[in-house]
Amino acid sequence: MSEKVLSPDLGFVKEVIKAGGQSLKKCYQCATCTVVCNVTPEESPFPRKEMVQAQWGLKEELFANPDIWLCHQCSDCTAYCPRGAKPGEVLNAVRRLSLKEFAPLGFLASLAGSPGGLLLLLAVPVVLFLVILGALGNLGSVPRAEDGSIAYHLFMPVLVIDIVFIAAALFAVLVWVAGLRRYWRLMCSRAKPVVPLSTAVLQTVKEILAHRRFGKCEVAKGRSLAHLLVFYSFVALAITTTWALVYLYGFHRESPYPLSDPVKWLGNLGALGLLAGMFLVILNRLGTAAKAGLGSYYDWLFIVVVAGVGLTGFLSEIFRLADAAALAYPTYFAHLVLVFFLFAYAPYSKMAHMLYRALAMVFERATGRK
Amino acid sequence: MEKKYGAYICKGCGIGDAVDIEKLAEETAEATGLKKEDIKSHDVLCSPDGVALIQRDIKEQGVNAIAIGACSWRTKYEEFDFPGCVMERANLRELVAWGQPPKEASTQALARDYLVMAVVKTQKGELPEPGVLQELSKTIMVVGGGPAGLGAALQAARAGYEVVLVEKEAQLGGWGGRLYKQVPRSYPYQGLEEPLVKTLAQEVQASEKIKVYTSTVIEKTEGQPGLFDVTLKGPSGSETLRVGAFVLAAGRKPYDAKKLGHLGYGLPNVLTNLEFEELVKDSNGRLTRPSGGGEIRRVAFIQCAGQRDEEHLPYCSAFCCATALKQARYVREANPEAVAMILYKDIRTPGQTELFYRNMQDEPGVMLTKAEVKAVKEEDGRLVVEATDTLLGEAIKLEADLVVLATGVVPATAEFQRYWDGLLEAASKGDEAKAKYMQEHPQPETILNLQYRQGPEVPSMEGGYGFADSNFICFQYETRRTGVYAAGCVRQPMNMAEAVEDGAGAAMKAIQCVEHVAQGVAVHPRAWDITFPDPLLQRCTACKRCTEECPFGAIDEDEKGIPYYKINRCRRCGTCMGACPERIVSFKDYHVDMIGSMIKAIEAPEEEELRFICLACENDAYPALDTLGLKLRQGLLKKPIHPSVRVIPVRCLGSVNLVWVADAFSRGIDGMILLGCKFGEDYQCHFIKGSELANYRFSKVQETLDRLQLEAERCQMLQVAISDYDKLPDMIEAFVKKVEEEFGPNPFKGF
Repeated sequence: MSEKVLSPDLGFVKEVIKAGGQSLKKCYQCATCTVVCNVTPEESPFPRKEMVQAQWGLKEELFANPDIWLCHQCSDCTAYCPRGAKPGEVLNAVRRLSLKEFAPLGFLASLAGSPGGLLLLLAVPVVLFLVILGALGNLGSVPRAEDGSIAYHLFMPVLVIDIVFIAAALFAVLVWVAGLRRYWRLMCSRAKPVVPLSTAVLQTVKEILAHRRFGKCEVAKGRSLAHLLVFYSFVALAITTTWALVYLYGFHRESPYPLSDPVKWLGNLGALGLLAGMFLVILNRLGTAAKAGLGSYYDWLFIVVVAGVGLTGFLSEIFRLADAAALAYPTYFAHLVLVFFLFAYAPYSKMAHMLYRALAMVFERATGRK
Repeated sequence: MEKKYGAYICKGCGIGDAVDIEKLAEETAEATGLKKEDIKSHDVLCSPDGVALIQRDIKEQGVNAIAIGACSWRTKYEEFDFPGCVMERANLRELVAWGQPPKEASTQALARDYLVMAVVKTQKGELPEPGVLQELSKTIMVVGGGPAGLGAALQAARAGYEVVLVEKEAQLGGWGGRLYKQVPRSYPYQGLEEPLVKTLAQEVQASEKIKVYTSTVIEKTEGQPGLFDVTLKGPSGSETLRVGAFVLAAGRKPYDAKKLGHLGYGLPNVLTNLEFEELVKDSNGRLTRPSGGGEIRRVAFIQCAGQRDEEHLPYCSAFCCATALKQARYVREANPEAVAMILYKDIRTPGQTELFYRNMQDEPGVMLTKAEVKAVKEEDGRLVVEATDTLLGEAIKLEADLVVLATGVVPATAEFQRYWDGLLEAASKGDEAKAKYMQEHPQPETILNLQYRQGPEVPSMEGGYGFADSNFICFQYETRRTGVYAAGCVRQPMNMAEAVEDGAGAAMKAIQCVEHVAQGVAVHPRAWDITFPDPLLQRCTACKRCTEECPFGAIDEDEKGIPYYKINRCRRCGTCMGACPERIVSFKDYHVDMIGSMIKAIEAPEEEELRFICLACENDAYPALDTLGLKLRQGLLKKPIHPSVRVIPVRCLGSVNLVWVADAFSRGIDGMILLGCKFGEDYQCHFIKGSELANYRFSKVQETLDRLQLEAERCQMLQVAISDYDKLPDMIEAFVKKVEEEFGPNPFKGF
């Protein structure tokens, strides 16, 4: 007999319900969800056990295993649940609560998770960039390039951008590292890694690159392709950004680059891919809403921000080329705000899934479950 | 009665195409002695014109013994109804025209045998007259004043019958009277309800038709349906009443929680669900720990406490899951921060109670998990529940302020049944063992105290856990004592709302009983049958087989051991007729000589061809054969019954007398099949013991066959369900093949 004395926590149950798990209590533990789930490991599978744990308010049990993050929210479980308990949505709510638990300054996760926090979160970059623009004297009139074309680097100097975004990114990375460390340690308190970490990481990276697990979803089949597109677009844009940094600080080549430059090709390709991917994401979400659930505010905020980053970025370029200054500058401004939003709040928003899920997958392999 | 015979052959439904009617009439006349002109045919005998043909003969020629060769006797019984006439049918449609290939010699021979047998039946049968006893009562006596008893009393009274309600406690209501609140019985199955029995008890008290005896028990019951003389013993002495039938709603007892020490019973703050209910009721919903006081924040409900457990009660008590959910509501209402933890094997909330389960599940403070609870212990002054196989992990511990055990129901009849079983077993070892048993075991209290040869209470079925049930598949409410209809938890575990309705059902059966008895008709299942067993007692040897084997305890004995039939207790299955070694039990239209004569009328071919007889139970086996005929006709099945088999319907395999085996084999029949209901644990026999007894008796057939120097395997019993029609051809063919290949023809052929 184990010595574990379980302590049901009514407060946590209510928290999960509030965080988007309204259907939690409908579960009658039949395990249809676990049976239909294609992405769960066979050993100690999910999501039924997570549903029971959530119903009993066993917070630590939930947070201390990789399973809540191994779930890709295909929503096959939600579609087949005979009681409408929507395990996919419940796990999503639990994941959200876990971010708040693991990341330092957890209140930011609360802000990121409810509409009430939106204005405050947006206010930070808006005010910051307005102050900078004011200090530069660029709020009234904006200097043009020598050939008279719109030049965003005159509106917002690259150095300023780099400082702001590197700071934001650094903040995110620190929060991430601290959160992931906590998560890893908590997981290790329940199961010990037996496979060399390097092997586990390598295999996980391979799997992510191929989106193998995502492809097993049935109800939300299209999601895999959409996610793949978004994922590789992000990769392309990350390469573009790095490339631009190399141009600037290595070769002292300043933007804007001519359309014939390969970096431009890659950047535009990434932007188009991102837009197409996000379009598919939204389409899939709406298309499968009846079966898989519409998703929570937290999902949609992330979708809107990512799509917004793509859209404002792309439009900024179009408006610049079209020389429509009245549209170009506000759009670029919005682009900067959204990119800041995406970067700085990444460890608290759904963006966090990228590393928490990856870590869970590494842990899964490291403990020999897969 | 002076008989004037007539036989009528229908050519409709394909019979005329499958059989040479002319030849059939000729051969029948030859075999039975009927005149050729008394055998007539018609294109559609069930048509008004066809029926008129028969009626004209009845009127003009005085025909009063009619054999009809047409469809199965299970159909068209309204068309072929000729009061005052002995009437039999030969099933030329389902078993011949539909069941066999047309125009074959074997089909023709089959038709001949069936029609000849029907004529023989009319020759051997007599016109029955109902046996109506005098001074019958139609009063319904309801035993038990709980939900089932109250429901039964009210419904019987509403139907216009006088009711006597007997309750041994001082108050009506049974366990239902001890509830704080009741599980909701109507949509949206959300809020708890006031206990239902309160209003029911008031209605019963107010009814002019219902006479209520509280603090009263039954001292003894004599007689039979319609004529039960019941002696009551109450606060004001004894009183004898005559009633027509009983509703047995004696209810249940809670399982003895003292046997559940491993689940902590005996520790402070470990209660049964009933004790918890009373705790809540007494405090009017304000919960505190009964021992040591203090707030209750965590209550563990342990479901199936000593239930679905071979060590205790092997069955489910049906209502405890809903009760736990209801009591979880008490916990939550007493303290919104309190948690009710329900540990179950399976949540079983039958019917609409499922909606209540869903509603309670929605409560965040009601936490459920499947679990095998291993122990409840006290550790450092706290109750700790240890469980394995939970959904929360391999093995867990939970701390609780209070533990509630869902103990199950034991039917009120169980204790006596256990005593009685022990007594019979001891008695079989001799008088000494019996005396010793009686000395060591005080007799538990009785309920009906029937003055029957087979014992004072309603017997439970083997493996029936002491419930007063006899055939839950087909005949709810029926017990093995005619005129006693069980309702509520004495019949099977159920909740109170179900018990009230169950009472209504049993009341209807009791009414059916008194009404049938008044007409001299059998009660269920032979609800049309006016015949009754009429033994020739001068030849009785007092062997007591009939009194012992009657599944319904219908036969008592006098001092010399001579059977004394109480015909209103009889269900007309004929088990006594099958039992009697002297073959003296007869019904007017069904007796040993009749079936023997039919067997002898079958033409046993002298050459290579083998001939088999199948005695088929009328209740399920024969309908299965009819269905097979229909499916063959529809083209849904292809394989017919082996054409060498002749089917003879019997009331129940229990009525099969072994002399028929000798009759058949001495006439050159090559093999015999008994086709009847399943017996054993999943028995389906409509008369409970018939097929089992037949199987037992058939196992003794060896002696008879040895005497004839024949192989015992020429006789076989096959068990079928009514739905096994598609399996019949193969089952029967396997037997036919076996006899053909292993034994060959009966050496008596031609003698």
